[in-house]
Amino acid sequence: MTDVLFAKKAGEELLKTQIAGISSTFSYDETAYHLPVSYSLTGIAVSDRATAADVFARMNNNPLIAAECLLAEKTATGGREPAPYTGFIGDTVIRKLGYSLVDGSILGLALIVGKPESAGGAAAICRELQEKYMLTFLAGGVIPSLSEAGVKLGLEYRLVPLGSTPLYGIHFVDIIARVAMMFGGVTPGDAHRLLAYAAERAKAIVIVFPGLSDEEIAFVDGMRVLGFPILSLTGYEGGEWIPATPDTVVRTGMEKKGIRVNVTAIPIPMACSPAFEGKSIRKEEMYVEFGGGRSPAFELLRMKNVGEITDGQVTVIGPEIGSMTEGTANPLGIIIEVAGKTMKKDYEPVLERRIHNFVNYGEGSWHVAQRDIIWIRISKEAVAKGVKIEHIGKLLASKFRMDFPQLLDAVAVTLITDKDKVLVAKAAAEKVYEERDARIKGMRDADVNTYYSCTLCQTFAPNHVCVITPERPALCGAISWLDGKIAYEISPSGANQPVEKGSLINAQNGEFEGVNRFVKKASHGEIERCSLYSVMEYPMTCCGCFECIALMLPEVNGIMVVNREFKGVTPSGMSFSTLAGTIGGGAQTPGFAGISKNYILSDRFLQGEGGIERLVWLPAQVKDELKPRLLPLLAQRGLPDLFDKIADETNATTIEELTVFLEKVGHPALTMKPLV
Amino acid sequence: MGFDLQFGWTGTVSEVVLGRTRAEGGTRSVSYRIGGGTTLPFLDTDRPSPSPLIAFECCDNPRIWSTIVRDYCGDLVNDPAEWAKTAETVYGADMVRLNLTSTKERNFSDVAALKKTVESVLSATTLPLIIEGSNEPKIDSEVFLACGEAGQGERLLLGTAEASRYRSIAAAALAYDHSVIAQSPIDINLAKQLNILLREIGVARDHIIIDPYTGALGYGFEYSFSAMERIRFSALKGDADLAMPMCCAPADSLTIKEVRDAPADARDEMAVQWEVYTSIAAAVAGAEIICVRHPRSVGVLKEAFAGLKSHSHSRTAEVR
Repeated sequence: MTDVLFAKKAGEELLKTQIAGISSTFSYDETAYHLPVSYSLTGIAVSDRATAADVFARMNNNPLIAAECLLAEKTATGGREPAPYTGFIGDTVIRKLGYSLVDGSILGLALIVGKPESAGGAAAICRELQEKYMLTFLAGGVIPSLSEAGVKLGLEYRLVPLGSTPLYGIHFVDIIARVAMMFGGVTPGDAHRLLAYAAERAKAIVIVFPGLSDEEIAFVDGMRVLGFPILSLTGYEGGEWIPATPDTVVRTGMEKKGIRVNVTAIPIPMACSPAFEGKSIRKEEMYVEFGGGRSPAFELLRMKNVGEITDGQVTVIGPEIGSMTEGTANPLGIIIEVAGKTMKKDYEPVLERRIHNFVNYGEGSWHVAQRDIIWIRISKEAVAKGVKIEHIGKLLASKFRMDFPQLLDAVAVTLITDKDKVLVAKAAAEKVYEERDARIKGMRDADVNTYYSCTLCQTFAPNHVCVITPERPALCGAISWLDGKIAYEISPSGANQPVEKGSLINAQNGEFEGVNRFVKKASHGEIERCSLYSVMEYPMTCCGCFECIALMLPEVNGIMVVNREFKGVTPSGMSFSTLAGTIGGGAQTPGFAGISKNYILSDRFLQGEGGIERLVWLPAQVKDELKPRLLPLLAQRGLPDLFDKIADETNATTIEELTVFLEKVGHPALTMKPLV
Repeated sequence: MGFDLQFGWTGTVSEVVLGRTRAEGGTRSVSYRIGGGTTLPFLDTDRPSPSPLIAFECCDNPRIWSTIVRDYCGDLVNDPAEWAKTAETVYGADMVRLNLTSTKERNFSDVAALKKTVESVLSATTLPLIIEGSNEPKIDSEVFLACGEAGQGERLLLGTAEASRYRSIAAAALAYDHSVIAQSPIDINLAKQLNILLREIGVARDHIIIDPYTGALGYGFEYSFSAMERIRFSALKGDADLAMPMCCAPADSLTIKEVRDAPADARDEMAVQWEVYTSIAAAVAGAEIICVRHPRSVGVLKEAFAGLKSHSHSRTAEVR
């Protein structure tokens, strides 16, 4: 066992004396960056003892500088090492390497130094690095050891043998320094930027086999300033090196540095693309179906800790599709387990909703609804091509990894087709759904300081800005506050941005200084003020996607709501489509607001106008749909009889009829503060 | 004029250099510095707005090219180098846009040939080049590496980066100092997002041209116009992530029904009219580069822009 800290100290002293002992001059050909590490850190072109000593001192006797100068001198005096050793690599090759790194065809860089105990172990590590699209550099005893095991070396194999001793590993650092200067906009001499680039952008790891001398340990340890994880296999202790085993070293290193392998192709016998999303599978085209009220079925996505699940693992519990009778409904449970460093429990329901899209991406698979009311079909055509239950799992596992590369490191899918087991797992899933509902239900606008914007619709409604709060979902009904928050975290430059609430301007209307500032900017200066809870004063702009329109009816001192599905003429004298044409396109129209259906149930609904007591008319279909949730809510607010006082098309189709109805039932809006 | 034609705007469109002359390290006879606008184009202000550059589009595999252009240009379409030269010497274009359409062939793999094509076009014309690389994500990496390398020192404009695939093109721009066309589907926010993505990967703002995507006049161009207008307003109001010059290619106008169904003797005229009028609208919306496919459109547009108000771009011409 070598004590890293102890060896490093001794090594640093040795390097210091060696620097003082430099006698000849030296430089590299084929580069515009002199000795790249020294040059990038200090802007000084090192070529002899004086300049080497100067730079070494400026960099507080940094062992990387020492290694670079000493090796350059050695190369100048002793000549380059013979093939297969590459030695210093010229700028032209580095430019191509940098290209592959930026473009993602190389995921990251690895350096392996030292002498492995067994050639086979080192070969396995290299193979794993190759498979994971890493470009690996080798220095020292590992090279003969790999050659012995018959491993092919060279840039084309993504295994680059730098030189015969670990100190040649400095070329790994000079490559990164040059990539930083060529691609990262790092100016020579800006040590701070170089270190930041190396730590944040350079995806590099270092793997250390046994047998390093004190100077070599000092050099390798010196790479920690660059933010590269140093992973040691055996023979070292102490210091900040990360102990690892041959089986886990690559994975550990890549995880530490956040290097992720992208999934590109889905290995299933069925095409998979958003192009198939709209295609439904009719009864006569269907081979089997699941759920839809015909058999028990559910879907659930849960977060696990990194390391708890194996990425890409798909398990089918119960009969496969081959033993299901054509045309039947079968039980199915879909359980997706995901893990990732930045994954949060809050994201579960949002990611779970993606199951719907992903299953529909399959050419022969179809999905509707969610949770424990899902309905899935697989087509005869797909089954004839060899599609099995297992492949739905593979599709899901791959798509989740592809679409959320920043978020998820591992996805495992379990598909249950055994009826009893589905029933047990379904009961457990239902508990999870309840917990989730309770969590979002309890959330209040006042509890958070940040709302989220949505400007997705600016494509056609150029100045429209939705502000989404916990109690006011987007007017399209498709994006809740939580969805907005997650969308922002996943895609920070996307259409959902955080909106700092700022100081309160008008509590009743829900007007905030921060929201106004945001809306003004996001609407390109068009909209100065926005009240979140008012239809009458500075209402939110409308794109065109609103589920419903709320508008004032001055004749009855109330507000009516009409949904998109309602085809008739409303008491306002206009149909939904006429109204939509009047208020859409990103305009702010006092007296009118686009809203989501669920917003009607919110405590903030019509707060600016005095609350739900203002609601005078609502199409029967929406009334029925909301009834089970609206009744208890109204009772809670002390308005148990309001529900029946709200008119619909069955008792009022014109403003005159509405007036008569409202007076007959004694609707509270009639006696409220005048709207206008 | 009785009112302020700056409208209180404070922003400036960033300047992008296209091409490199010998003095600048390349082999072009001219290089352009486009952008720099502080108000809308063609207004009668102290700082005259330059006419847009006209790029003539050619390709290295005419199989999928417009038959109208193929018929008009004849055998030239089979020789991209000669075609590019003709664009400079006969058609009078300011730039050449080479579309590497051969990459659209099934299982395309001959990247070495692409490199040769780019090199031959570079030596056949002295105009700055726009190179449209692969259309297939799988070969992007190789194709853009080849294009970038072949044009090293020439400050090419490489196309086309999209939000879902921009890494290879950005890498080529960074490695060999070229600029990129960033295309978004007629959406100001996506345009901005892509520019941010490009910036994050390291492409400088003065190396980006926005292509807001152009439909043919009467076939969706009004969306393009409005997207372009809003991009330019944002730039002038100070949004640096949208303050790039714009490029428009009304190629769709050659495939619309009116052109397809025109009688044989009127087909060219019809194609030119549609391409020209779409282009003029794009120029008025603020485009700094207009790419056309019908050779006759080049001359007509030059005249039209001269009529709108002619001031040449700041250009560095090779002293010969």
